[in-house]
Amino acid sequence: MTRRNFLTSTLIAGFAASFAWSPVASAEEIQVGSHMPLTGSLARSGQSFREGMLVAVKMYNDSQTKHQIKVTLIDDETQPAKAVGAVEKLASDGAVAILGGYGSNIVGPASDTANRLGKVYITAGAVSEELVQRGNKNFFRINNNAGYLRGFEGMVEELKAQSVSIVASTREAPMLLAKGLEESLAKKNVKVTLHPFDPAITDFKPIINKVKLQDKSEIIFMSAYENDYVGIIRAAKVLKPGVKLISGAWSLAIPKMYQDFPDLMQNVVGTTPLPYPVDMKDAEGQAFVAAFKTMFNKDIDYAATLSFVKTMVLCEALGRAADAGTLKTGGLADEVRKTKRSSVLGPIAFNETGDNPNFTLAMGQHREGKIVLVSPAEQATGKIAYPGLPW
Amino acid sequence: MVVKNLPGILLALAACLIPLVYGGNGYIMGLMVSGLIVAGVALAWALLGNLGGMVSFGHAAFFGVGAYASALLSAKAGLPVPLSLLAGGAVAALSSLAMLPALRLSGPYFALAILAYAHIFKILATELSWLTGGSAGFARFPVLPTIAGIDFSSRIGSYWLLVVMVGLCLLAYRAVKASHVGTALRAMAESEDATRVVGVNATLLKAWMLLLSAFITGLFGAMNAHIINFLEPDYAFSGTWSVLPIIAAIFGGYRTILGPVAGAVAIYLFDQLVAKAILPVGHQIILGVLLAGMILIAPNGLFGLFGKKKTGAAHAAA
Amino acid sequence: MLELSQQAIFSGLLVGSVYALVALGIALTFGAMKIINLAHGELVLLAAYMAYFIESRTGWNPYAAIPLAFAITAVVSIAVYLLIDRIKLHRELNSLILTFAIGIILTNGILLVFASDVRSTNSPVLQDALSFHTVYAMKGELTAFVVSLAVMSALWWWLKLSWYGRAVRAVSSNRDAAMLMGIDPRRVELAAFLVAGILASVAGVALFTMSVVQPALGPALTVKAFVVTVLAGVGSIPGVFCAALLLGVTEAMTVTLASSALQELVGMVLFLLVLFFMPNGLFGARARRG
Repeated sequence: MTRRNFLTSTLIAGFAASFAWSPVASAEEIQVGSHMPLTGSLARSGQSFREGMLVAVKMYNDSQTKHQIKVTLIDDETQPAKAVGAVEKLASDGAVAILGGYGSNIVGPASDTANRLGKVYITAGAVSEELVQRGNKNFFRINNNAGYLRGFEGMVEELKAQSVSIVASTREAPMLLAKGLEESLAKKNVKVTLHPFDPAITDFKPIINKVKLQDKSEIIFMSAYENDYVGIIRAAKVLKPGVKLISGAWSLAIPKMYQDFPDLMQNVVGTTPLPYPVDMKDAEGQAFVAAFKTMFNKDIDYAATLSFVKTMVLCEALGRAADAGTLKTGGLADEVRKTKRSSVLGPIAFNETGDNPNFTLAMGQHREGKIVLVSPAEQATGKIAYPGLPW
Repeated sequence: MVVKNLPGILLALAACLIPLVYGGNGYIMGLMVSGLIVAGVALAWALLGNLGGMVSFGHAAFFGVGAYASALLSAKAGLPVPLSLLAGGAVAALSSLAMLPALRLSGPYFALAILAYAHIFKILATELSWLTGGSAGFARFPVLPTIAGIDFSSRIGSYWLLVVMVGLCLLAYRAVKASHVGTALRAMAESEDATRVVGVNATLLKAWMLLLSAFITGLFGAMNAHIINFLEPDYAFSGTWSVLPIIAAIFGGYRTILGPVAGAVAIYLFDQLVAKAILPVGHQIILGVLLAGMILIAPNGLFGLFGKKKTGAAHAAA
Repeated sequence: MLELSQQAIFSGLLVGSVYALVALGIALTFGAMKIINLAHGELVLLAAYMAYFIESRTGWNPYAAIPLAFAITAVVSIAVYLLIDRIKLHRELNSLILTFAIGIILTNGILLVFASDVRSTNSPVLQDALSFHTVYAMKGELTAFVVSLAVMSALWWWLKLSWYGRAVRAVSSNRDAAMLMGIDPRRVELAAFLVAGILASVAGVALFTMSVVQPALGPALTVKAFVVTVLAGVGSIPGVFCAALLLGVTEAMTVTLASSALQELVGMVLFLLVLFFMPNGLFGARARRG
């Protein structure tokens, strides 16, 4: 009996002692924290986010000598509680700001925590409207649902399409975009049919057959994720509905999709900030592409670009606040709010809720392994193949 | 008596010491808070397993229902959060009534039937978007309140609240186990037919255990909702809430009362502080190995290993 | 509407045939040992990734991966059996948790080796469309259907005619009596797990050719297979096959007649209804109540 209790108490004592704590801080550097989903269901986006962020930090640090920014990154495992924990750990380790993660349900609580601790939080991966309606003065984001919406809506107008079938996953971000499109396209007298589907679905033929025989739409829009895109396009290739275009949202018009599924992607259109091969018009964009290639030996992608821009915006604001000596006195949020710059994602400026109302994405079309920007007209690098289908 | 309760006293002491040592460290306190939430669910899971003789793979169902019920009642009906937490547990218990038919199923079938319920509840939460906000999520509901100068929404505040809640649930568990009901349930585990002969209504007793387990799980689901302050079906009904408590309870020993709680906190901290450092991607593999190892080597859990003699004595006494 | 329903039934039958292959593995080990192997979905997934490995490295048809896939799933399946065999206490429930743990290990192992990217066949032959009058399918799906039918018939004959087959059936109907008749139940159980490995390897390759795979898919496959097993009731291969087709068609019809968001809901409700009200399943012979 005593032996057992001795064991138990040793166990507990050892367990309590096993996480001794030692915060590390350095005076010369500006400490920034970051949480991203390096594992879990959003790991793919999280990994790209990480790469874009690292390139931005390196470029900023190399561009001047006054401030050196050091980022500590914690994997939030695509789980809100772990993101909250990460923000707390980062803040207690001395981070002055947080580069946020991906997914509204993770960014929401994480940015709440940052706000409570008085830290600026900036993200490029959370589109829920709820986030900017909280009155959180330390919250900023680069992208939003409206931007994706405008990108597609603009193309529908340019094509003068009369009917669209939306095939949407019932997950958070896809559903948000689908509902938004349903509403805004209906206002423009476009006939919209929404087909929400459970993320567990793998055979999309019954849905596509409805599009083929009932909707008879001109355009299919997929608001979903990579695995769904493959299933939907395959079903469409088999059933060959009389549509003129297959389009979709994020992570579709990216080179990797074409490399992995060349037979499915030809002529498919998706939201993208950039053509491929990347053709940067501005110096910053070119430097970004070059630095990315050196560091990771691959081409930039969409999520990395988003992360690059948000990190650059934060780095510059940090520099300005440090120059003004307001970094320790809460001046960082004001400096971020003053941001007014162009970027590879277009102009960036925040409104009072921390949103970036200028955010709009172009639409890019897969063409023989290249991605051609086809809409809006003023950014287009080529003419859209319309009707244009993967079969 | 004191000696008999020593593990419990030591755990309580550790619970008091941790905020004194790490109170200023939001990260560790955050991990403790998450660990305690898993502990609450693990306790509820073990109660069902130990007293009811039922293994469940779907406690996420109760967790999610409790979370949504409390969030909705506090936001839309204006119920004060302390009451909505209890209501969350009550609604979760209510939802378990739908599972009563499953009680007549044998082990594996029951386990997977509950999993089916978790799936169904998640799809309902997605589809009833007028109520739950659907997959877009639900964010604007109150946080834990400040009562008598204690801000329960702070890490320390929620920590203490959770310690008290886990403690109360432990006492309730112990009381049930020591009561006539507990005796009957233990007898039932030995031989259901025999107990039926002496007039014990097995299904009714099991139903009560399911209800109690669902209530506790819903309560902790509600707590978690008000701590995280964002709900969406994928998260509220996530398989994690079914899986982690199983690992924790098996690790600590689901036949003991304290085992699941100690196991949950230990497993959670181990996963986050040690496993994650070794394997940033896929560190759950370590938990899998641990779970498989425990089942094979020590199916009664670590606490069970230490407590072997005691269990024997208790059986003799009973 | 008629055309929609025709296609839904056709699609449902094709999908159902793969459900059947996955489910049969679970049903077989359950029959022989009263143990639900919760790692079976991961076993199938492992085979699917072998198909990906072979196709992406050599450019061969994914079906060429069956020998490799089988070698691996057989080893894992036997390892699962040997581990389960070590459990002495509360075998029914502890084996459930053990196989669940093995599932976690396999899922994360696959994640570590193959990353979280989505994978599917790139073979143009398998992706081609075929049409019969008003219904359409991918050649890969039809191939999977035929393969599934062939494997099941073979298994059915084997169980019916071979010594091992009869021994499996003897052990699953009465273990003690079988032992008295001089059948070593452990040999029979081992055989059942080995055959489950074969089934998983074929199912995995078929899945890779007609659908999309990713590391997190395993538990969903297991659950789907378990639903089929329950619908079928224990004890007959044709029963499993019919139940799987029924589930496939029900899901597809739900999408067609109601909403695709409700597909999974209908499957689960059907599962519970059969579980509660038809204790022998739709086609089974024995009870499952405790």
